[in-house]
Amino acid sequence: MNKIKVFFSSLLKNESFKTVITSLWCALLGLIAGFIILLFINIKDATFAMTTVLGNFMIFSNGADRLNYFGQTLAKTAPLIAMSLSILVCYKTGLFNLGASGQYTIAIIVITFLGIGADMPWWLVMIAAMVAAALWAMISGALKAYFNVNEVISGIMLNWIALYLANGLLTTNLSVWDAAHSEAYIIGRESGMNALIPSIGLDKLFAGNAVVGLGLVLILVVVLVIYILFKKTTIGYELNATGLNGDAADYAGMNKIKNILISTAISGALAGFAACLNLQNGFTSWNLTSTPPEIGFIGISAAFLGGLHPIGVIFSSYFIVHVTEGGSMITDFGFSPQIASIVTAIIIYLSGFVFFIKQVIHKYELKEEFNKISRTKKRRRKV
Amino acid sequence: MIEIILSVFSFLLAYVCVLTVTALGGMFSEKSGTIALSLEGCMTFGAFSAGVMMHILPANIPDPLSAIIVIVVALVGAGLYSLLLAVACITFKANQTLVGTALNILSTALAVVLIKQITQTPELPVGNSRLNFMRFYEIFNLDFFGFESVKFNWLIFIIIALVPIVYFIIYKTRYGLRLSSCGENPSSADSVGINVNKTRYAGIVLSGLFAGLGGLLLITLGAEWEFANGAGGFGFLALAVVIFGQWKPLYIFLGAFIFSGFKTLSVIYPSIDFLSNLGISSYFYLMLPYVVCLIVLMFTSRKNVGPKALGVPYDKSKR
Repeated sequence: MNKIKVFFSSLLKNESFKTVITSLWCALLGLIAGFIILLFINIKDATFAMTTVLGNFMIFSNGADRLNYFGQTLAKTAPLIAMSLSILVCYKTGLFNLGASGQYTIAIIVITFLGIGADMPWWLVMIAAMVAAALWAMISGALKAYFNVNEVISGIMLNWIALYLANGLLTTNLSVWDAAHSEAYIIGRESGMNALIPSIGLDKLFAGNAVVGLGLVLILVVVLVIYILFKKTTIGYELNATGLNGDAADYAGMNKIKNILISTAISGALAGFAACLNLQNGFTSWNLTSTPPEIGFIGISAAFLGGLHPIGVIFSSYFIVHVTEGGSMITDFGFSPQIASIVTAIIIYLSGFVFFIKQVIHKYELKEEFNKISRTKKRRRKV
Repeated sequence: MIEIILSVFSFLLAYVCVLTVTALGGMFSEKSGTIALSLEGCMTFGAFSAGVMMHILPANIPDPLSAIIVIVVALVGAGLYSLLLAVACITFKANQTLVGTALNILSTALAVVLIKQITQTPELPVGNSRLNFMRFYEIFNLDFFGFESVKFNWLIFIIIALVPIVYFIIYKTRYGLRLSSCGENPSSADSVGINVNKTRYAGIVLSGLFAGLGGLLLITLGAEWEFANGAGGFGFLALAVVIFGQWKPLYIFLGAFIFSGFKTLSVIYPSIDFLSNLGISSYFYLMLPYVVCLIVLMFTSRKNVGPKALGVPYDKSKR
């Protein structure tokens, strides 16, 4: 019994274990809140709807269908991982990248024009999209570095500018715009075959679902690169230092302006990469909307739920996509797919409490230690 | 001709008032030290609660009474919603940007889900969550000049009257001065006996009330509103107006005119021959307010005049 106690208290002292616990707590509370809302809407079908949301691809009885939808969930996880890495890189440098949606949109414009309009090979499209998104993000970075404009505000403004740019440029160009469906042509359906990310045989593992492919490998490589960047390289260290205390880092010889520009460029490129992973597997395309794409904001929840750690982000992104995909399956029962948005929003809201939860754990630790000390004192008195 | 000018003016004034009242609310929150990123969410939620009230209110209730009920519901809804921000950011010292973003997403998602439930229209396409309230469009928009196309929403007169009142509250009353001190230097405010957390709570709830009024005005400008769009980005523009107006009520009122001017342009340009002949895409005009906003921020942000403790949760132990 005592051994178990010792094991738990040593676990509680572990920083990453604390992060996992708090993240799981947030996810659980988010799901419970979602369930309560489902109960409000339709008490009869709520339990069934919740199992559908949680089960996602598991609700299919056929093995091939299961694999197919599992592959789809994985393929949709990849862009979200890229997106949350984009948020993470900026956050480590002390910036909040609320402009990720805009960078994503700019990348979509480039992908659509180069992939469908110019029929370029996939890697060239990908690089061009990432560069364009990085440059777009650097507008926000430069405004912050040179003019002291709050990056949150400029990011939001750039989101809307990018949105109207995309709507204006894509809808007026009929070589890329499918007016009949009021969306851009999807890569790999009728045109832009070269712009598809190759499947490298991975589709066979998922019952022939062609959206699974090289993208999954690429995103894992990118996660590793970002992990190494912050753990092992000078640039990563400087970015981190600028985030912790910009002026002190500047004083110590780390150029604050340069670091802000670098980190916004990296996060912009990552947001662009997210767009590549979403569009270049022939999954979806730009359709006429009047609000910036939501993925930029969902990326924030994935980043924080993942404890702002590149590896943790993989799991949190998967969880969120799993719930979102499940949410899209309950529309047939009169529920809105936005239930999943509610759950993610509540999770983001609750991740704000992480600091508080960690404090509670810390208090518990202190109490334990205090008890230990008082116990030994009592023993001594008896002796 | 007079009719056209008046109609443009009514558009302009309505947008000015939406931005002004929301930005004044944002100013209360920011002056007390909390970033008002959730303005968009509060507007949406206020508008949503008012919209639902308009939808379910029986027609036999006299017009003035139902107008009052709707206004109260909008205020209460947005005020309660802003409490979510207050609890997280003040009591639990959460990251204000993070929580603000969460509340913006949550309000739109809640509005879409619940409106679909209330209107019970499963045949609507996914994401469509329109509410119609023709009767309230007539109640709120009055015809003062006898022209058919010119209608003035009487809420805008209330909002214009609010500007000097807010000015008075901020600069001449005990509460206003305490509010500013909590945003500038909470430690010294605390040391002279001001309850920082209480003052900040009041600031955030006030911002919620104002944003709720802004949301109500926004949706009653037309006879219907698509809630999937949230508050159409007005909350974010209002936040920019707060910064551009340097956290001063009168500057905010003037700043709102600039952004509303460009916003109005995007609505009325097809009816002006000179502009529609230029052949510029309508998206360019939609983009304009945001571009102007960025450029203006570029020139006004260098000298940082915002509240010193903005965005920093107050921690007593760090005094």
